[in-house]
Amino acid sequence: MDSLTRLDNIRLSKATVSFEDRFTLSEIDWTITPEQHWVITGPNGAGKSALAAALAGIGDIQSGSIQGLPNNVEIVSFEAQAELIAQELKKDDADIMDVISLGTPVSEMIFDHCQEAELAQALVEKFGLSKLLERAFRKLSTGETRKVMLIRALANKPDLLILDEPFDGLDVDTLAMLQAHLASLIDTVPMVMVLNRFDEMPDFITHVAYLDKEREDKERGDKQSGDIGRLKLTVDRQDDTAFNELYQLLHLKTTDLSVPEADPTNKLPALDPSQPLVKLTQATIQYGDTVIVDKLDWTIERGQHWQLSGPNGSGKTCVLSLITGDHPQCYTNDIFVFGFQRGNGESIWQIKQFIGYVSTNLQWEYRVSTSCKNVIISGFYDSIGMYTKSTDSQKKIADQWLELLGMQDRADQPFNKLSYGDQRLLLIARAMVKHPPLLILDEPCLGLDDINRQLVLALIEKICQGSETTVLYVNHHAEDQITGIEHYLGLEKNH
Amino acid sequence: MANYFNTLPLREQLAQLAQCRFMHTAEFADGVEALKGKKMVVIGCGAQGLNQGLNLRDSGLDVSYALRPEAIEQKRQSWKNASENGFVVGTYEELIPTADVVLNLTPDKQHTSVVNTVMPLMKEGACLSYSHGFNIVEEGMKIRDDLTVIMVAPKCPGSEVRAEYVRGFGVPTLIAVHEDNDPKGEGLALAKAYAVGTGGHKAGVLMSSFIAEVKSDLMGEQTILCGMLQTGSLLCFDKMIEEGIDPGYASRLIQYGWETVTEALKYGGVTNMLDRLSNPAKIKAFDLSEELKDIMRPLYNKHQDDIMSGHFSKTMMEDWANDDANLLKWRAETAETNFEKTPAGDVEISEQEFFDNGILMVAMVKAGVELAFETMTAAGIIAESAYYESLHETPLIANTIARKKLYEMNATISDTAEYGCYLYNHACVPLLAGFMKGIKSDVIGKGLSLDDNGVDNARLIEVNTALRSHPVEAVGSVLRGYMADMKKIV
Ligand SMILES: NC(=O)c1ccc[n+]([C@@H]2O[C@H](COP(=O)([O-])OP(=O)(O)OC[C@H]3O[C@@H](n4cnc5c(N)ncnc54)[C@H](OP(=O)(O)O)[C@@H]3O)[C@@H](O)[C@H]2O)c1
Repeated sequence: MDSLTRLDNIRLSKATVSFEDRFTLSEIDWTITPEQHWVITGPNGAGKSALAAALAGIGDIQSGSIQGLPNNVEIVSFEAQAELIAQELKKDDADIMDVISLGTPVSEMIFDHCQEAELAQALVEKFGLSKLLERAFRKLSTGETRKVMLIRALANKPDLLILDEPFDGLDVDTLAMLQAHLASLIDTVPMVMVLNRFDEMPDFITHVAYLDKEREDKERGDKQSGDIGRLKLTVDRQDDTAFNELYQLLHLKTTDLSVPEADPTNKLPALDPSQPLVKLTQATIQYGDTVIVDKLDWTIERGQHWQLSGPNGSGKTCVLSLITGDHPQCYTNDIFVFGFQRGNGESIWQIKQFIGYVSTNLQWEYRVSTSCKNVIISGFYDSIGMYTKSTDSQKKIADQWLELLGMQDRADQPFNKLSYGDQRLLLIARAMVKHPPLLILDEPCLGLDDINRQLVLALIEKICQGSETTVLYVNHHAEDQITGIEHYLGLEKNH
Repeated sequence: MANYFNTLPLREQLAQLAQCRFMHTAEFADGVEALKGKKMVVIGCGAQGLNQGLNLRDSGLDVSYALRPEAIEQKRQSWKNASENGFVVGTYEELIPTADVVLNLTPDKQHTSVVNTVMPLMKEGACLSYSHGFNIVEEGMKIRDDLTVIMVAPKCPGSEVRAEYVRGFGVPTLIAVHEDNDPKGEGLALAKAYAVGTGGHKAGVLMSSFIAEVKSDLMGEQTILCGMLQTGSLLCFDKMIEEGIDPGYASRLIQYGWETVTEALKYGGVTNMLDRLSNPAKIKAFDLSEELKDIMRPLYNKHQDDIMSGHFSKTMMEDWANDDANLLKWRAETAETNFEKTPAGDVEISEQEFFDNGILMVAMVKAGVELAFETMTAAGIIAESAYYESLHETPLIANTIARKKLYEMNATISDTAEYGCYLYNHACVPLLAGFMKGIKSDVIGKGLSLDDNGVDNARLIEVNTALRSHPVEAVGSVLRGYMADMKKIV
């Protein structure tokens, strides 16, 4: 009778759900089939609880639709718990009789709510609430009310069970008991849980949904304020790689760690603050008769974050390589970088020391069998691979970066054995490790799947927070933006 | 012009041959200072010319190119190389008189005529540099007394010279000052600064002599580096076909096999290369290589003797004078070999399989490296030099075969190396005919396929000890140690 075939798929199609103007879930596309068990996760404020609540019919659907929700949905959450307690307290206020109310006893709270008294009784015993049955609900501790909530939900044999942080505040024994009980239900009811901690995830969970918040888009014109939550990713638990990456993403998004400091024992030479970082004058790149870049004037002042975009072949990478010194024609152009007028006896290493650089190309060229830690340290030397002994101070900083990336355990693993996305993260750390005055991110997300894209953007966001580095972000599509960039240079295809 | 080496008394010959010292990093503390603000004019813009020039310029030095008039008029590749990379290009007359240092990076064969042309244009007290000492040592070129003559010889093809620099590293480099031409005593300072400018100081610099460089370079390239790989490719391929192995597989096993097995050599010498084999295969490879060494030793000795006596360069120069008749004939013959004509099949061969099914190739590399090293050191060449000219360069040459087989190898190496390679091959193929008769697909193509990997303990210990105690391993581990932290490109 409990067969899952009784249930429909739950389908959210471009569902935009608002919660009292405080928060909006935007355009959620998501399908839950009856035999699946989901965890919703994401950084704080991403709308995890909101999404859970939406499944319980809470919130106003602005557009799109939510279909297939069963009638009998149970939700256990702090909001629901607070609501229930508030209702109880209201009963007190509304009491017209001049008698001090004792409040609703726990037994009534449980048994009046549930269809299956027997099951409820069994759960009461399991949760160790037998002795509290006669006590007033509002006299219970938070942990105890939580247990009551759980018993009510479980004993009601719902067709969809939503548990928002169900394990919070439970003692070890109860937690184990609850986990076991939930495990016994997997063939009878689909479950959706909100969990902040991955390690609490029960084994029976089959899928993970990852939400993130976006800042409100001011240009949209609607007056609503507040954050927007979006469903960024869904991951099948079977997919170990994706699952680990999600774990890492969550770590990056939720860690309190900030970007490690620059090496105090080896400071970069000071730059004259009155000079621009980069000044290209009538820069031209030409192969034979083909002009790739035509008379480009461009000045990058300190602290001016730039986005450079343009189609393939518009010379984006060429322009960058004029700055980094990798283009041979930087000697035939009028280029001023970091205090050097190029072609006057400076070496490219004197230029490169001021730049952090990441690109797909770099990743291809970085085919070395060196350790992850060394890859980060090589950023101090602007080298591909390590050719000098690293200092203790450099090693310490590299360890801090690995910790930030959630990759401490991979410090000594060979770089070339890592996934493409992890390699990219390490190369970004490498670019940033010396806190360069100029950080060039040349299509940092190119070639990455969704989850790794999220990872890279999370890292870049972290790096950009309060750093003194000027960012030059290059991408193909002008739409893909990083917050904080307000200068744009678009290149056209000339040839 | 007489062979310079042969004009020296024996005492001096031995002293020059034995000149070789691994330089300490601290000796390069002055960086490129000695060349700062000086005008460096490169003649020729080929493999070495272009790549060395790019590095020197990126190290903050003033580099331009003097090309022969026809290269400029016809906008040849050398002209394109230089001008598209934004260098000033000019004729000898325009640029040589302004030069403080003239870098002669034309093919060795052209050195006499090039040097004779540019020398009168060079300003008083300038410096002439080479990347190979053939012209001075074998042809006995006399350079004007007021000029300083140095050599800075990267021990890698030009493309590597650039690629390593860009990674922030460099390639091992040999420097020397021609004692007859160091009027101001500034030769060493210039050579060191030049080595820094190319990035060589990061990978290790050997202070040597023109003579030691030439005699060891010729020996290495003819025997283990190019000759052995060519002979080995041809013999192993034909044997596999004879044994009924799929030609596409055989072609792939050889084309990429040299690169794969010598990669192990690069990391941990001959020992590591053999350690990649199972114990029975290792013992097999060891036995084969001992046999090969016995058979080939007289050939290695003959090459070294002919190089020392000048016989090799004399016959090669005769071929130059004869419009390279032999070289061109041998080159055409190589193109017609079965191995060269059979494209690598579209089969997957795992890294380990190259070892397991290429036991004979491993044995050939081991035999060639050790013999070349033994022969060179017996002839008075210092171990460090012998190491670079044998073991160190083998993987680099093997890479070229992986790219486009023997054609690519012979196109990348110098004409001198190519000529010597064919000489070696012509002698070595018939020399190994009897040995090859006893070879079956278990050591080339299929692997041992034993049910039991057991071996006799005593024998294994014997083999391991012999491997590890060979002198090339001792000097190799020290030299590789200088690159301790460095992790090479895979
Ligand atoms: N290849 C190596 O692995 C290697 C390693 C270490 C040292 N070296 C040494 O480096 C030197 C240069 O070798 P390479 O391999 O770079 O040679 P390459 O690639 O053949 O280049 C030689 C250059 O010289 C020019 N050239 C040819 N004949 C000339 C002539 N008669 N007069 C003026 N210019 C001429 C050629 O340009 P045009 O024909 O267009 O004029 C070409 O650009 C040699 O001494 C060699 O031994 C080579």
